[in-house]
Amino acid sequence: MRLLEETPDAALISDSLPLRANLSVLENVAIVLQYRRNMNYDAAADRAWALLGRLGQTDSAFKRDPDLGSEQRFAAKLARALILPQPIILIERPGLLLPDTHYPAFLDAALTAVEDLFEQCWIVDYTWNEPLYAPR
Amino acid sequence: MNSASPPDLLTRSGSGLLNWLHGWRAVFRFAGVAIVESLTPRTYNSATRSVVLKQIYFTAWQILPRFTLFAALLSYVLIQIVVDTARNFGLADYALEATIRLLVLEILPLMTALFVALRSGAATGTEVVLMNIHNEIQAIEAAGVDPNRFEFIPRVIGGAISVLALTAVTSSIALLIAYVVVYGPQYWNLPDFARVVAHIFDLPTLTILWAKVLAFGLAVTVIPITEALAAPKKLFFAPIAVLRGMVRLFFVLMLIEVLSLALKYI
Repeated sequence: MRLLEETPDAALISDSLPLRANLSVLENVAIVLQYRRNMNYDAAADRAWALLGRLGQTDSAFKRDPDLGSEQRFAAKLARALILPQPIILIERPGLLLPDTHYPAFLDAALTAVEDLFEQCWIVDYTWNEPLYAPR
Repeated sequence: MNSASPPDLLTRSGSGLLNWLHGWRAVFRFAGVAIVESLTPRTYNSATRSVVLKQIYFTAWQILPRFTLFAALLSYVLIQIVVDTARNFGLADYALEATIRLLVLEILPLMTALFVALRSGAATGTEVVLMNIHNEIQAIEAAGVDPNRFEFIPRVIGGAISVLALTAVTSSIALLIAYVVVYGPQYWNLPDFARVVAHIFDLPTLTILWAKVLAFGLAVTVIPITEALAAPKKLFFAPIAVLRGMVRLFFVLMLIEVLSLALKYI
């Protein structure tokens, strides 16, 4: 939470910020547009669907958090953070978010798919994991 | 054996009293915010409207047939008892007024509020306490969505509308049943019936009735939500928070009922 307070323009993707459990992935992403842009659900869901499509995760669109795999959950959180373009995205400890995944490659592919939606990506991790991440 | 010394006992009692007062302050504060927000047009965007509709669907619409049937059955039995008793005592002229006062003004609003409290109040409290423990509230806040406006106020609005609507439906059915039981299945006593109803529902009575039902509607969601938000973020506190919310809610509903009776009859 301190990360967010120190960088208010950033969207944080973190294990400590879960999806709303009683909403599907599509609804979790769409509510940001419904609430912040007063879009109706259909229009917001279309945009959310398109973003999930770019991340290759439309299969999980109608699933809820407990039914998601770690990659699907990460993609959902990334989509929720980027449904409105952000200057900075902060990804906190990718290894915690993506257990049992070769996450440097997965992370790189996911960020490349949506790189027009943010200006900078900061990864917060232990210093000994620094060689895992390519500079962006 | 250790026993608490008088200063310890005093400190603990004082701390308990302060917690109790803080709990009530939180309830009244949230109720005030909910009333102001519900009257503010900017509260109603696409996201909040959908939560209000879902709340009404799950609280009122989904249970409407079964609850209406139950209320009709209960109304019929109570009306029959009151009408028969009144006739036995030679007070048949007052039977209709007595049944309407008993059912429409007192029993049906209270029964509806208790039913909604048990069904939706407990569910809302549980959902909010789990949301709080799992950090979901902070997560939606971090996504730029105000949890108060998106999650809590719409539930209060939906809950209040549901209690008002269910009370209106069951009361209308009770009036219909009362007419049929007292006058039989014909329509030529409608003017007499209308006179009795108009005599009962004068402006002060109507005002107290609507204020009471509105207070019931606010209480069934405001109290469980406030207790849920006040609970520490530990999973084992979830049942305690729900229990506290339901106990407080029960006493508030009873207090509102007693207050409305006192205003009317004392």
